[in-house]
Amino acid sequence: MTQMTVPYVALGLRARRVKRELMAAIERVIDSGMYILGPDVAEFETRFAAYCGTRYAVGVADGTSALILVLRSLGVGPGDEVITAPNSFAASASSAALLGATPRFVDVRREDMNMDPALLEAAITPRTKAIVPVHLTGAPADMEPILKVAERHGIAVVEDAAQSVGTTYNGRRTGSMGYAGCFSLHPLKNLHGIGDAGVITTSDERLYRWLLKARNHGLRNRDEVEFWSTNSRLDTLQAAVLNVMLDHLDGWIAERRAIAAEYGAALAGVVGVPRETPGSLHTYQTFMIHAENRPALLEHLKARGVDAKVHYPLAIPMQDAARGLDVKMDDFPVTRWLVDRIVSLPLYAEMTAAQRATVIDGVRSFYRR
Amino acid sequence: MKVPYNYLDRQFDAAETEAILDKLRLLVQTGEFTIGPPVLEFERRLSAMIGVRHVVGTNTGTDALILALKALGIGPGDEVITQVNTFYATVGAIVAVGARPVFVDVDDQYAIDATKIDAAVTPRTKALLPVYWGGLPPDMPAIMAAARRHRLYVVEDACPAVGAAYDGVAAGAFGHTAGFSMHPLKPLHVWGDGGAVATNDDKAAEWLSLYRNHGMVNRDEIAIWGVNQRLQTVQAVVANHILDKVNPWVDRRIAIAERIDAGLSDVLEIIVPPRPKNRRNAYQLYMVRVQRRPELLRYLAGEGVEAKVHYPIPLHLQEAARELKYGRGDFPVAEAQAADIVTLPGHQFLTDAEVDYMIDRIRRFYRR
Repeated sequence: MTQMTVPYVALGLRARRVKRELMAAIERVIDSGMYILGPDVAEFETRFAAYCGTRYAVGVADGTSALILVLRSLGVGPGDEVITAPNSFAASASSAALLGATPRFVDVRREDMNMDPALLEAAITPRTKAIVPVHLTGAPADMEPILKVAERHGIAVVEDAAQSVGTTYNGRRTGSMGYAGCFSLHPLKNLHGIGDAGVITTSDERLYRWLLKARNHGLRNRDEVEFWSTNSRLDTLQAAVLNVMLDHLDGWIAERRAIAAEYGAALAGVVGVPRETPGSLHTYQTFMIHAENRPALLEHLKARGVDAKVHYPLAIPMQDAARGLDVKMDDFPVTRWLVDRIVSLPLYAEMTAAQRATVIDGVRSFYRR
Repeated sequence: MKVPYNYLDRQFDAAETEAILDKLRLLVQTGEFTIGPPVLEFERRLSAMIGVRHVVGTNTGTDALILALKALGIGPGDEVITQVNTFYATVGAIVAVGARPVFVDVDDQYAIDATKIDAAVTPRTKALLPVYWGGLPPDMPAIMAAARRHRLYVVEDACPAVGAAYDGVAAGAFGHTAGFSMHPLKPLHVWGDGGAVATNDDKAAEWLSLYRNHGMVNRDEIAIWGVNQRLQTVQAVVANHILDKVNPWVDRRIAIAERIDAGLSDVLEIIVPPRPKNRRNAYQLYMVRVQRRPELLRYLAGEGVEAKVHYPIPLHLQEAARELKYGRGDFPVAEAQAADIVTLPGHQFLTDAEVDYMIDRIRRFYRR
């Protein structure tokens, strides 16, 4: 692979900014010998719950496990349906499929690329067990109407907040509006460990108490198993790292937003650019533009050393894994429109001014020709 | 004198910690945290050490067992035969894939009683899941023979048994698939959770690599619905550092076990299990059966010896097992062992003086 002038991510750079703090936190865990759960995990959970404005947070191994655990708590299984968005990462749907349920999809809106609440009601059947709106790219789904429809039908809303740590909607953080919020803290996320990690937020005490057991073999204490379950614990090492990262999160989000504003101002009118809806705070997990003539644009950017990506070139219903679902892309015209146009531009605080200019000029020069 | 059960503070002294932290610093520089090069290195080296074609790193030992079962297509409607004196995850994994656990009793070495397998097989039985309980290889040749007789898969729960072997064949090299745990108190361990699946089956290995990583063929395409059960790259760094030390550690554990066995051999209140020479026990747990267990545990605690019980309640009597409809008396050997078994400290960092002190205190308790 050729060396890119502007790589899509620079995880090493981010980690290097806080390396001393990270290594000190890791060393503390090693010295304590508490490698499994323990005070670092508890501290992270307390702080993360406070950050999101929920009563509880439960650390888990990864974002996919978070979704699976919460759907399991609702009894989702064979014969049930779970509604989500078709343009997300596979886990939004696979979490339901892996429990034996059938994922159903509701098309999204062009402006925020999130579930269209106007189409939600028509997708609900007597078998619908949960609605999983996704806060894609760090933009909040339009939760108020979604919650209203769900409430009318008595269906739980599980927020797929994997891409939206810190995002707000009408002043509330994502993860605090539904029955539970499921976060991924994978290295590419705004808040991340140095490896896989996840967390579930909720204000439901019963769910909280169940999750503490469900992520740890169903153990009530060392010797008694209340129900069969798995090991989906958040690694203590990752919790220690996350406690360091959490101190910096709001600063990093502010840095991302500044670059997003710079891109937005420079590219508006050239391509479709993401916009913040009133009352919300977009955290720009990805800066996703809508671009005509995408293959040529990507070529053009690559020639200039800009590594842009597509999240994702195949919507979930188009994947081989979805062949048993009996869905056609014709049912999701907006998603189909988006799939051919979306481009994620490199955006991270460690970019130099020259790199940012290379990205902006790259896009602009393509459409000026 | 204190004889601690947990050895981690002795193992990770300042120099050892620093050596691993140096490697972690390099990893942090690169940012390759997701299935980074250390994971691939680990998989290569562990497969060579065990003598299998493939090892796939997983997030935990429980995940390893779940994947080891699923890779063979075991799921709803199937029955899997295992034992009741194991860690919950053995059964948790069977239930997680939708299959039904069927139990058989154990023998005097606390391993599955291979002579009782035939009677537990039904038309729905799909696999045998023998456990290397405490690090001891069960009677693998007899188990493999039973599997061949009934055309069943064998999934080895080798969670605590890297370094164990039967007739020189390593734990994990017998079955169709095998799961390992790298939890901190296992022979091969990391700084948190970690696991691995071993297999000689190329197709199973390919499926495992896909499934543990969201079913992703590449960044954009998913072939199957999968999960995220990857081995953490930071933990792979720790595992790579430790891997070559496991067999010497097991050698030391065996020496300590032999010392305790000899020291307790004439104490009539204690039953030391048979120790067949062709089984290399990794001694993750050094277990004997004792009389007056509660009093002994209390006395040893007062004398600074940290003994434990693995576990006081066999799995079929757990609340989680109620829908399986077993009851007290169904597995008399395992139930009797649960009532009087004790795990003594037997880790590789104990000194001979500490071991002798522990033996002496146990002898004193029984007035020997």
